[in-house]
Amino acid sequence: MVACVSSHLRKTGDGAKTFIIFLCHLLRGLREITGKEKDFFPFENIQTCGRHWKNCCQWKFISQALLTFQTQILDYVMDHYLSRHFLSIFSSGTKERTLCRGSLEMLLGAYFCGRVGRNNHNLISQLMCDYVFKCTACESSFEEVLELVDDCFVELKVGVTGLPVSDSRIVAGLVLQRDFSVHCPADGDIRIVIVTETIQPLFSVSGSEVILNSEAQFQTSQFWITERTKAIVKHLQNQNVKLLLSTVKQPDLVIYFAGLNGISVVECLSPEELSLIQRVIGLVPFVLPEASSQYELSHTALVKFCKPLILRSKRYVHLGLMSTCSFTPHCIVLCGPVQGLVEQHEDALHGAFKMLRQVFKDLDLNYVTQTSDQSCTSGPRIYKNSRESNELPKIVNSSIQRSYQDTVVKNEGELAKTQTNLKVCSNLIVPSVKLEKNVLCSTPKVAVTDSYQTDETLRCSSPNKGRIMDDHEPFIENNSANSKTENTRKEISYENLQVTKLARKDSILPLRYKSLEMCTSQSYYFSSIPAGCVLPVGGNFEILLHYYLLNYAKKCQQSEQTMVSRIIANALLGVPKILYKSKKGNYSFPQVYVRALQALQTNQPMISNQTGLESVAGKYQLLASVLQCLTNILTVDLVISIKRQPQEVYDQDSEEEL
Amino acid sequence: MSRLEAKKPSICRSEPLTGERTRASLAALRGLVTSCYGPAGRLKQLHNGRGGSVVTTSQSAALLAGLPVSTPVLKVLTAAVRNHVACFSDGGLFTAILCCNLVENVQRLGLTPTTVIKLNKHLLSLCTSYLKSEVCACRIPVDFSSTQILLSLVRSILTSKPACMLIAKEVDHISTLILRAFLLTIPESAQEHIILGKSIIVPLKGQRVIDSAVLPGILIEVSEVQLMKILPIKKSDSFKVALFGVSLSGDLSDTGEGTLLVSYGVSLENAALDQLFNLGKQLVSDRVDLVLCQKVIHPSLKQFLRTHHVIAVDRIGVSLMEPLSKVTGAWPIGSLGSISPSSYGSIKDLCIAKFGCKHFFHLIPNKTTICSLLLCNRNDTAWDELKTRNEPESVLQDEGCSQTELQLITDAFCSALESLAGSLEHDGGEILTDSKYGHFWSVQADLPSAVNWPDLLSRCGCGLYSSQEELSWSFLRSARHPFPPQTCLSREATGSASTLTLDCFTAKLSGLQVAVETASLILDLSCVIEDTN
Repeated sequence: MVACVSSHLRKTGDGAKTFIIFLCHLLRGLREITGKEKDFFPFENIQTCGRHWKNCCQWKFISQALLTFQTQILDYVMDHYLSRHFLSIFSSGTKERTLCRGSLEMLLGAYFCGRVGRNNHNLISQLMCDYVFKCTACESSFEEVLELVDDCFVELKVGVTGLPVSDSRIVAGLVLQRDFSVHCPADGDIRIVIVTETIQPLFSVSGSEVILNSEAQFQTSQFWITERTKAIVKHLQNQNVKLLLSTVKQPDLVIYFAGLNGISVVECLSPEELSLIQRVIGLVPFVLPEASSQYELSHTALVKFCKPLILRSKRYVHLGLMSTCSFTPHCIVLCGPVQGLVEQHEDALHGAFKMLRQVFKDLDLNYVTQTSDQSCTSGPRIYKNSRESNELPKIVNSSIQRSYQDTVVKNEGELAKTQTNLKVCSNLIVPSVKLEKNVLCSTPKVAVTDSYQTDETLRCSSPNKGRIMDDHEPFIENNSANSKTENTRKEISYENLQVTKLARKDSILPLRYKSLEMCTSQSYYFSSIPAGCVLPVGGNFEILLHYYLLNYAKKCQQSEQTMVSRIIANALLGVPKILYKSKKGNYSFPQVYVRALQALQTNQPMISNQTGLESVAGKYQLLASVLQCLTNILTVDLVISIKRQPQEVYDQDSEEEL
Repeated sequence: MSRLEAKKPSICRSEPLTGERTRASLAALRGLVTSCYGPAGRLKQLHNGRGGSVVTTSQSAALLAGLPVSTPVLKVLTAAVRNHVACFSDGGLFTAILCCNLVENVQRLGLTPTTVIKLNKHLLSLCTSYLKSEVCACRIPVDFSSTQILLSLVRSILTSKPACMLIAKEVDHISTLILRAFLLTIPESAQEHIILGKSIIVPLKGQRVIDSAVLPGILIEVSEVQLMKILPIKKSDSFKVALFGVSLSGDLSDTGEGTLLVSYGVSLENAALDQLFNLGKQLVSDRVDLVLCQKVIHPSLKQFLRTHHVIAVDRIGVSLMEPLSKVTGAWPIGSLGSISPSSYGSIKDLCIAKFGCKHFFHLIPNKTTICSLLLCNRNDTAWDELKTRNEPESVLQDEGCSQTELQLITDAFCSALESLAGSLEHDGGEILTDSKYGHFWSVQADLPSAVNWPDLLSRCGCGLYSSQEELSWSFLRSARHPFPPQTCLSREATGSASTLTLDCFTAKLSGLQVAVETASLILDLSCVIEDTN
């Protein structure tokens, strides 16, 4: 459970507490229901099995039902019912979406409420809001900026202890957490270069052998090294370079000549700092030429200023980078009386950037609705969900994103990957990592490429869908399609599933897949939660989903679906129950709940007495993560404890992050 | 294979503040810091049963560093105070006392933390905006044309550290020295941003305090053996200086990562030494008078330089390199082969000085903002205590008086600030406040009720006002009508008082903020989870 929560938190930056509360209520709900309803268990020969085995089978059955719920019903309910309640943090009206500052403040305020101490949370949330707006050059680039800030957050913040929290501020430019090795003050725009090796030539390189026959030889080579270093530094000066950023420690000689030539030097940049600078100003390291020193210096850039910054009597390097991307560099200086508090604020801010990053993305919903065929409603029905069919476009799409090629990417490797995914799903022994990769990590950008070919006629029934997908830059098209037709459903039905084509090629695939071919008439829906969707805080999402799930359960014919929907709907209420625990009278949970239900039944707008917003995508992902975690827990039938030191530590999470 | 030990579960304690142990230790800490506060504060002696030196102090930095703290709440508090002191080197006790008072007072009230934190935050913002505003009566602008206020500030800081064991004459002497050292660091030609120089403190223990001195330039300590080898310094009006950052020991450390194959009979050490001699020859031909090296100089090179009347001093250490570079104008040389003439510097004079039992090279610069403050004291503890020098800032605030004034502005802060002001009195006396300026007056205890106050009181706590003005007094902690304290606007007023007790404004302001923030943080704790593994 802890591993699941941490991995969820790492990706979304939000919802750890809700995760545990929700999971807890789900487990309690399950225990209740399995204790009562014996007839729920479908196998007849139950008496012959041991008690334990019976339980395990039962749990596994439930976990399968949960998976079905997650992949089919959840998306359906979100898309059909919940979506009408969504608010947006973008102000509507104009064609271009503009971020509404007030909404962002409410979103961040609610986020920091539970993470930062009461006396600081307004300040931190204001700071973050300012930061987001200061760093973003234009409205359309929030997503890109947030991605960069999330990736490089450690480099973009400076923690200072001993000062009051209220001294925290934003400084323009980039602050490197080290001092100059040499600082030569200079005015105006400053030309910089980055080096990743020592400028002074090495006496001998690794793996080589230097044979010295005389003392004079040694002295000559020393002399040559000095002269060569001098020449390179001189050349840098001739090219008007005023600042040298180095990822390695430069020898004394280089520092000396740089100082003489009026070049400031900053040494030992971390790889993360280097990559941040490269991302912001697009500067590649300068490669020292092999032979002659007469060459053109192409890899330089300009910075607005380069000066020491003193925070609490410690000196930092302050660079005024001129950004070539949509991110306008700014740093956050976080102050606090004690180290722990500063760290807490740093973590909260980092989490907030992760959360915002999710908010600014479209979240795709895919589900299948059965139209006619009742022949395959029994066991294998579970696998007819949209999951398998999703895998294919996802993978193809991501590979295109990676390579930006217009060529047909559908090669054998892709097929193999798809098949392994299918196999994993079919066996239902789903390792957590795999599942998270599929659903959470990639927040799938399904290639709804059909829309670009037939812009208006969204209905498309071509059997060769795979080829269309691979065609031309679906990635870009997809974006524009999404922004244009927000929240409109795209319905695509297939004569035959792409998956079954693959299945035929692979004879090892389980027989169950064949049954897929029988179910020919299914409707596949591709929809999305558009970027920026929010709901008011205070359990709004939970109560809404609870209500619609109960409604769905009433209509649903399959008993296990009804049961799972009920369990989840009831568990959802656990969150608002806790939120309103301390409230009395009119604001106590029963009152709030009854009012909400009445409003929903009469189609009135729900009235929330709380200010603050929370991300719908975040809630959705949280729900999905919890269900997956629960599925995992339920599928385990035996815990083997080993009292021995682990032979080899294989950390899957860290590898995944790489 | 190492033994495996089962992990202990974390200890989780809810409501950490209500525990008897926490309450007792908080009260103990408050008592401790309160009794140290102010010019009349009492000393504390810290013994560690396991050894180490005995510390006698009344400073928060030394006190909290030596005090073992086990309760999580106190750990937060002491860490906050220590970090504050590390930033400002002043106002630690103030912060600690205020924070303790706030926590204890609020606990007594029994309000919910949410309300208290909100109120505290509001009151703090009122305080800070008042203190920063023009009408603020506690601030005295520094008059840089006279030394009086600056001197008062330095003296206030020194007298609030009784562990320095200084007598009045010594306090005067040291304050003057510190001020002179500070003034020497201000560059003569003032630009838009004044970049202050640096005063280097040179410790000299076992000497009379009165022997302390401020010298322009830099002192480099040399051993007696080294001194004997140095030739008598020739008289000259300027000395050329070469400053080396690179080692001159002739070692071959930098030969790259490959393998080095040396033929029989070839000595790289000799080659390196040859290189050093060439360097020496260049230095001599460039007419360098003084060679300073951060690291080691090869004995042969030293010998060579001596025969050519060049003074060589090595093992200077990295900390002196920057000041030396500033004083001499020399650029630290990182090359053995080619030296640019522009990297040489110069000094006005060079002499050998002896202070106590130590010998120093004294480099006297032409024009610079670097000076050396030679601090003498009789013993270690007192010297450590004295080391806390402070560089005055632009705006100042008077001590004692400010607390009673603040108390009149705010309401819930009242008792916390009141008892803070009250803790300035250690001799069982009473504290009065006047109704015009809101300043702080101290009287002896057990006085008859009907007395003529002006006869009894002479000057207020900071020394700004005399009792001969038409003032009326009331006891601190007694009911009184709120009034707006009058601003001490007049230069004459500050001029008339001979000795003022002053505090650094920025340090005090930040201390106030840190104290309130930390108190809020502590009050916000509802559970402490401790990992005992």
